[in-house]
Amino acid sequence: MSTLTETTSRPAAPARSREEIVAAYRPHQRVPVWTIVRHAVLIFFCALVIFPILWVLLLSIKSLPDAYQNHIWPNAFDFSHYGYAWDKIPTLRQNYWNSIFVTTMTVIVTTIIATLAGYGLVFLRAPGKAIVIALFVASMFFPTRVTAFIGIFQMQDQLGLINQAWGLVFPYTALSVAISVFVMRGVFQTIPRDLVDSGRMDGAGPMRLLLGILLPLVRNGIVVVIIINFVTAWGEYLLASRLMNEQGQWTLPVVLASASGGMGAWAWPRLAAVYIMAITPGLLFFGITQRWYMRGLQEGALKA
Amino acid sequence: MRDSLGNWLFLLPAVAFFLLWQVWPIIQVAWYSFTDFRFLDPNAPTTILGLPKNFVGFQNFRNVLQDDLMWKGLMRAALFTALFVPGMILIPMVIATLVDRVSNPKLATAYRLILLIPAMIPGPLVFVLWKWMYDLYIGPINYILVNVLGLFTVRDQPQWLGDETLVFFSLAFMEWWWGLGYHTMFFLAGMATIPRDMIDAARIDGASEFRLWRNIIVPRLLPVILVLVVIRFGTAMAIIDEYLIMGAFNRERPTYTWTVYMWETAFVTGDWRQGYAAAIGWVGALAMLIVVVGMFYVFRTRD
Repeated sequence: MSTLTETTSRPAAPARSREEIVAAYRPHQRVPVWTIVRHAVLIFFCALVIFPILWVLLLSIKSLPDAYQNHIWPNAFDFSHYGYAWDKIPTLRQNYWNSIFVTTMTVIVTTIIATLAGYGLVFLRAPGKAIVIALFVASMFFPTRVTAFIGIFQMQDQLGLINQAWGLVFPYTALSVAISVFVMRGVFQTIPRDLVDSGRMDGAGPMRLLLGILLPLVRNGIVVVIIINFVTAWGEYLLASRLMNEQGQWTLPVVLASASGGMGAWAWPRLAAVYIMAITPGLLFFGITQRWYMRGLQEGALKA
Repeated sequence: MRDSLGNWLFLLPAVAFFLLWQVWPIIQVAWYSFTDFRFLDPNAPTTILGLPKNFVGFQNFRNVLQDDLMWKGLMRAALFTALFVPGMILIPMVIATLVDRVSNPKLATAYRLILLIPAMIPGPLVFVLWKWMYDLYIGPINYILVNVLGLFTVRDQPQWLGDETLVFFSLAFMEWWWGLGYHTMFFLAGMATIPRDMIDAARIDGASEFRLWRNIIVPRLLPVILVLVVIRFGTAMAIIDEYLIMGAFNRERPTYTWTVYMWETAFVTGDWRQGYAAAIGWVGALAMLIVVVGMFYVFRTRD
């Protein structure tokens, strides 16, 4: 919709001065300068946001000579880089699978435990709740990730999880458990107490109450938690690069961060193809769930 | 009592993961910081749970506090923070004000969604992307500056990541790009709580857009701003992935901050002096904590 129709079709606000009403019905009304400037600025920023992503996408379908002459629009397209990288980078399938496995497990585990804890913190009587909340809050104002790192390294070492990609699930779950619990707690707090009390009157136990009545009501919050954990686990670099010494155990971010445009399978457009393969799942998932994500942010996440 | 034990089962899994892979490692690191533990030293004596037992008292901390590299590292991190935080808050605030005034709901949603796209790309992948964007051979930025606009030649083109004064600006720009949409959402949520009548009334009274913004919108957003300042201070001071992916272990470069120093000491050089690295980590964390507590104090008195 153009900027012109936007200003003219705006519904009349209840309180308007006489001049404004007159102005609104004047024929050939000029679009206010502010409106134009506003949209121009926003479109500029949107373009700025999109440009790098479009650029990699384009790089991944350029012919090899075009890719190395770095002009933005190629003379010839070449769509073979995806298949080439997939076949020729020896560990890529394994790396992709590692990322999928570790991320899926982390998302499932964290979502379940954060939902349980959020529910418990809001609706159940449990001594020591305040301490749990205080600990979680404190961890958000402390450089936990950096400070804990050497300790996590030791822990994984003692458990024999060095060079075991699946072992990353444990620290990954812990990495964003605090924020996930807070999102779920915020969402549970928006549910009226009466609903829970009446459910209790009917004799429902805490678990049945959660699964039967409350779960559909916190759907948006669950989507937010899934996305937070997906983004964290899918892209985690520090632990994945330090704990895994064999290329076969790497996850995608480690592969991409350690490569810088070599020969054959590591040529730039092929790397770009791997990059696109790495960011597409997240963007797709966001595209599908954005409706609930936006609502979930409003309900719980932004209040934390 | 029986009931509350059963109720605790709901909290237990989350608390267990948190204690085992966050709290316990931090305690372990605190323990290390009082020992001379070296990871690659096969004779390092250990007690139960694999904790080292060669205690050296406060020696590591005394050394860290006299270590020039540590102070340099903290100053560099602080410098980057001073650049990072204002842009991370002001730009989204302006954008949120603009998006908030878009009256067509479909357009408003479209702007939000597009701006949120970078937030769906995990950090390290964002850093890889911008490492390529800033690249001197294939990067599009210098291509535009040199070949399209002709502002520079190949010889004097800006070295976005190589130049010591430019690198922080390049990294900050990348961070702003990444955080723009997400932070805009915070401000939009804050603005949604401002009563529309208040803004309409001010407008009818003839307040200019700028004064409206300064006198009504910004004060209403102050709580959001203060929370974000504290949180993003914590992010910026403890940045490490960016520096590892885009910089290296060159001690002269501005990206060699205290976090990189800790990392290099613990996992790269010598026989991995993790006792000393643990002390670096704790001193850095405590320095940050002091500032955070200070900020809470200052912001609280203003309410």
